[in-house]
Amino acid sequence: MFQLTGFTASFGSATALRRADLTIRQGDRLGIVGESGSGKTMLALCLMGMAPDAAQLDGRLEIDGHDMTHATETAWQHMRARRVAMIFQEPMAALNPLRRVGDTVMEPMIVHERLGRDQARQRALSLFEEVGIPDPVARLRQFPHELSGGQRQRVLIALALACNPDLLIADEPTTALDANVALRITDLLVRLATERGMALVFITHDLAAVARATQDIVVMYGGDMVERGTTAEVLADPAHPYTKGLLGARPDPTAQARDHNGKRRRLPTIPGTVPPLFSLPQGCRFAGRCPVEIPRCATNRPAPQDLGANRIAACHLLRGQRP
Amino acid sequence: MRRLPANFIIGAILVTLVVGAAALSLVWTPHEATQMNIRDKFAPPSAEHWLGTDQLGRDVVSQLMAAARNSMSVALIAVLLGGSIGVALGLLASAIGGWVEDGVMRLADLGFAFPALLFAIMLAAVFGPSLTNAVLAIAFINIPVFARVTRGSANQVWTLDYVSAARAAGMNRFAISRDHILPNIAAAIIVQATIEFAVAILAEAALSYLGLGAQPPAASWGRMLSEAQTLMYLAPQLAIYPGLCIVIAVLGFGLLGDGLRDITDPRLTRER
Repeated sequence: MFQLTGFTASFGSATALRRADLTIRQGDRLGIVGESGSGKTMLALCLMGMAPDAAQLDGRLEIDGHDMTHATETAWQHMRARRVAMIFQEPMAALNPLRRVGDTVMEPMIVHERLGRDQARQRALSLFEEVGIPDPVARLRQFPHELSGGQRQRVLIALALACNPDLLIADEPTTALDANVALRITDLLVRLATERGMALVFITHDLAAVARATQDIVVMYGGDMVERGTTAEVLADPAHPYTKGLLGARPDPTAQARDHNGKRRRLPTIPGTVPPLFSLPQGCRFAGRCPVEIPRCATNRPAPQDLGANRIAACHLLRGQRP
Repeated sequence: MRRLPANFIIGAILVTLVVGAAALSLVWTPHEATQMNIRDKFAPPSAEHWLGTDQLGRDVVSQLMAAARNSMSVALIAVLLGGSIGVALGLLASAIGGWVEDGVMRLADLGFAFPALLFAIMLAAVFGPSLTNAVLAIAFINIPVFARVTRGSANQVWTLDYVSAARAAGMNRFAISRDHILPNIAAAIIVQATIEFAVAILAEAALSYLGLGAQPPAASWGRMLSEAQTLMYLAPQLAIYPGLCIVIAVLGFGLLGDGLRDITDPRLTRER
């Protein structure tokens, strides 16, 4: 349905996304994890045809076999809302403060499906019920500032669902919400995807949410897809050193705050930070931070290797070579 | 509730005064503004003529009120006309970007380079002096001002998340401009319109003073000034009254615009 082949997005010499291969089929629930700056959002924007004007796109992006890599804005407008929709990270900022939320949700129906206002209102109403907004009749007439963060995110989900998209991209939908609400929004997205047979791309750096919401996972680092597989397997037995680091950096709630010498125990981290896009290593993007690095890593890009059972990882030190 | 800024309050009072007088003149003036009475010329202030009469015996208060009405109409039409075109161009430039934006903005620069009075004199030379031409000239100089303000504010709004969300929902650029950009830059445009209103009043007075605006017998502050000029030693008050009116109107709208800006955009509030 959605297919990326060797897809690259770059800004001059800075590569935000390097040779990404990805297939999204109907009903897939795919998690994309990685640190800030790993290219997750860039990937999402490219799938929406909303990459910044300055980005040069290479490779191929297909939707139902149509090449959309260099499609015009008008062509994308026909895709958006009906084929692919997106919800954004900041529910506070993603709603026009001067419009009633009902009008915002009804707009794509009126534009794309030429519904009358009454029909659109009916559908908005049932969408509000579907995404669990209490008292939907009154909510339709309210302004964003009258709603809580969780409710706004639900409104944005209703907006994304307005024209029954085949693929819903959720770009860190729960990052700005408190833990309780985040959990419920995550479950809501899973329920909606399952009930509607809609594909879901769930972008986050919350590994617990990914484990809860998705079947498959892509781990991204510095614009590369470093590991891919079923969520359960990747999280249980990570193959790429970056994935290992990421999993190792989860705080362990059962650990003692102090070790047996009485010293304060530090939270495990991956040393260093994601380098800026223009100074990424030429070879493996993780070179320089990788605990098992060998000289080859800095210069040669590791090819994605098939580990069987849909597991793919891009590292020079896989299989047999594992330290 | 925050205290309203002083400039807003003073501006609002002055504007109410001028607009009130203009509105009142629609239904009532103490005398017919254009009615002459040579025997009563240069009459001193009295119960009959509150501010006296001019060299042709016309009632000064009535003339000032009628002139306020003319001045307001000219400013209103000119700002509405120039403002709508300018806002439309600014939104267009911001929505399309690229060479369209560059083109519109360079044209706006060209418009800025054109002195309004010169343009009005040109119009008057080609089409003859009239209030209509004065309105057109003032409207024309407003176009680049509004285009620039609109484009600047719109470019900021285009980067916001809710615009991305609207794009993600498949809205085209024009629908986004109408539904999301325009309402969110309305405050900046209204502020600019208020300030441009003051400029338009001044421009109308200047054009009428030069004989390129309101034609006799239509009342106009600018024309009253030019007529009183020759009588400065004989009756200086005839020049002072319309002058004061211009000051009150221009100051009023200017302060009101400044005050509105302070209220709507706290970042611009200066420390006082």
